[in-house]
Amino acid sequence: MSSKNTIENQSGIDTGINKFEKESVEAPRYSCALAGVYGTTLGIRGGIPILHSGAGCGVGQLFGTLYAGGESAGGNEGGTSTPCSCLVEEHVILGGEEKLRNLIESTIEIANDELFVVTSGCVPSLIGDDVDQVVDEFRDQAAIIHVNAPGFKANSSEGYNLFWDAIIDQLLPDEYLESEEKTVNIFGVVPYNHVYWKGDLLTIKTLLESIGIKTNIIFTEKNGLDHIKKIPQAEYNIVVNPWLGVRAVEKLEEKYGTPFIKFPNVPVGAKQTAEFLRIVGEKLSIPSETVENYIAEKEDWYYRLMEYPGDAIILVRPNSFYAVAAESSYAIAFTKFLANELGYLPDIIQITDNPPIEVREEIIREIRDNLDTVVQPDIIFEADTYKIRKNLENRPFLFLFSSSIEAPTSIEDYNALHIPISYPIYNRSVLAKHYSGYDGGLTVVEDVVSGFVGPL
Amino acid sequence: MPKQIAIYGKGGIGKSTTTSNLSAALSDLGYSVMQIGCDPKNDSTTTLRKGKSIPTVLDTVRQRSGDLDNLVHEGYNGIYCVEAGGPEPGVGCAGRGIIAAIELLDNNGIIDEYSPDIIIYDVLGDVVCGGFAMPIRKGIADQVYTVTSSDYMAIYAVNNLFKGILKYSNNGGALLGGVIGNSIKSSLQEDMIKDFTERTNSDVIQFVPRSPTVTRCELDGVTTIEGAPDSRQAEVYRELARKVINNKDKYLPTPFDNDDLADWASGWINQLLLNRKVEIDNIQEEASGI
Ligand SMILES: Nc1ncnc2c1ncn2[C@@H]1O[C@H](COP(=O)(O)OP(=O)(O)OP(=O)(O)O)[C@@H](O)[C@H]1O
Ligand code: SF4
Ligand SMILES: [Mg+2]
Repeated sequence: MSSKNTIENQSGIDTGINKFEKESVEAPRYSCALAGVYGTTLGIRGGIPILHSGAGCGVGQLFGTLYAGGESAGGNEGGTSTPCSCLVEEHVILGGEEKLRNLIESTIEIANDELFVVTSGCVPSLIGDDVDQVVDEFRDQAAIIHVNAPGFKANSSEGYNLFWDAIIDQLLPDEYLESEEKTVNIFGVVPYNHVYWKGDLLTIKTLLESIGIKTNIIFTEKNGLDHIKKIPQAEYNIVVNPWLGVRAVEKLEEKYGTPFIKFPNVPVGAKQTAEFLRIVGEKLSIPSETVENYIAEKEDWYYRLMEYPGDAIILVRPNSFYAVAAESSYAIAFTKFLANELGYLPDIIQITDNPPIEVREEIIREIRDNLDTVVQPDIIFEADTYKIRKNLENRPFLFLFSSSIEAPTSIEDYNALHIPISYPIYNRSVLAKHYSGYDGGLTVVEDVVSGFVGPL
Repeated sequence: MPKQIAIYGKGGIGKSTTTSNLSAALSDLGYSVMQIGCDPKNDSTTTLRKGKSIPTVLDTVRQRSGDLDNLVHEGYNGIYCVEAGGPEPGVGCAGRGIIAAIELLDNNGIIDEYSPDIIIYDVLGDVVCGGFAMPIRKGIADQVYTVTSSDYMAIYAVNNLFKGILKYSNNGGALLGGVIGNSIKSSLQEDMIKDFTERTNSDVIQFVPRSPTVTRCELDGVTTIEGAPDSRQAEVYRELARKVINNKDKYLPTPFDNDDLADWASGWINQLLLNRKVEIDNIQEEASGI
């Protein structure tokens, strides 16, 4: 162990983290509602956030949402090029409506054919700016919505829900559109806050299209506004989260009669993926032969590959205990995968995205009822980094799946190998990497084994 | 150091009328006075300025003129008149406006430049939020007066103000100087206000009767001191001025809990109603010649 002021990581490299930083209080597992809307908007290609807030909100979220989401820059519409009304004291006192009006006007002027998302932060919500009225003035000029998302009211996860509320209530048409058979929309993967969102969404799309289902993942694809406009046409909506996006699919059912299929998580590995495909296939009347053929083909490939790390696992780290601290969806998916496909033993599962009380029982049941092990983990809902760390003390786990906050000291504090899977992730550039689907399951295994093989 | 006092009370209770007359009377007594209206309506000092309004502190913020020379305007007898100003009705945050205006005056040495003997803040309504409590925080006013009638809601507001004073008192905030009973028409009303002050360990510094002279002068755009200097009402305001300037008392009142206040008030209100009924009955009896 290092006797210096800074802490060394497992390879003896100085991490640059000192004791003060390690015990620092400022280590959030999510950000504010405005951040959630901001990230979600940037997840849409052609989505332009217009922040009605202090200037610090946007810059804060460059670090707190974009960089935290696998070191992503903001692109043309995000980061330091985000349109923002930059409210100062003058606007607090006299109101910020006029400034916003000018900002929207000029933003629409320089960018066209896009989706404009006016997002109100703390300041206008405190002083009661009538933002809806200002936004109303532009509705016939552009696709524009207003999301009231003051940071004091809700967190970034809820920001994702607020975004969809606004899209459905303000942008999508009232009238019923003829639904298109064998098409679905995907909800419940939150841009940036679910750090592997880009790869996960693409994987879900590839999986479903392999069995003949046209899949609208909305985010990451070009012409995002077109994808949003197509939402009402889907035969089914699919939500892969116990709570995020659930309000959206319920709303869409109410508005267009579109039924939805709810999964508690993004499928990780062969078992979850097969189950996912079978359920969706059956609902959408895909011939079971098509589904089974695809599953058989992928499993053949998958299980052959799974044999390769077999020796390393059995000889070096068989039946190891593991701890998870992640958002609901990944916490469920990883806990099931590691127990059911690697034969690892769940020690403690901490859910960090603060799901509403009503769904907590459901989340616990989803984990407890689906583990093929005799060991039952402790399941805790905790968003406070200090308490998360406290809960991890003096436990048998050898692997820790959590945010990068725990990464540098995981060996020193818990003698556990660390794999970053949940927000925030500052120690990895995450582009197409993902843990979902067949290949995603293999990636989990790669990451696990890579932690203890070598170094030479 | 100038004496700095803040006048609080329920909306429409007579704060600006009382404050302006107090300023005018103090000025007549030879003191150099500055009156600062802390109210977005910016009507605190109009009767000191022949009914004419003045540009406000927040107007300069609004126009970004940075022109700080145009904030203080002379009124009756050379009184320095300042209006904090604020947003349009229904827009922005007036509370923050008060904070910004006071900070602006404070940080730019504007008050020091005029070095008045006494500064009076006329503050809007109840202490609804942190902004309106600004004048009683440390370093601004050191003595607070509150204007009330015998109306329950007015006394309720006084009780709230007392709570505000308690809150800030730990940090060197302003303390109570006294209660001004306004629009008094009967001795029973005085008794009610007096009873309230006794139970809250506070004092009435002056009772000001309700008087048509006040209304008449107001319509002429002047204070009673200016418009009817020889009236009995003007003498009341002069008496108030002498008491305020000599009042060194600063203390912590003991406000009622809300429930206790309601219980206390209901007894008094019954009496006041009974009293009014007797009055009306007498008039009716006399009129009907019975
Ligand atoms: N003693 C009095 N006799 C007669 N009329 C009075 C008396 N005191 C106040 N008034 C009248 O009551 C009305 C309200 O008074 P004023 O504007 O001073 O109240 P305020 O407490 O400053 O109100 P606001 O909260 O709106 O600023 C005015 O028309 C004023 O002339
Ligand atoms: S909490 Fe409020 S002030 Fe902070 S970033 Fe979010 S909206 Fe902005
Ligand atoms: Mg007034």
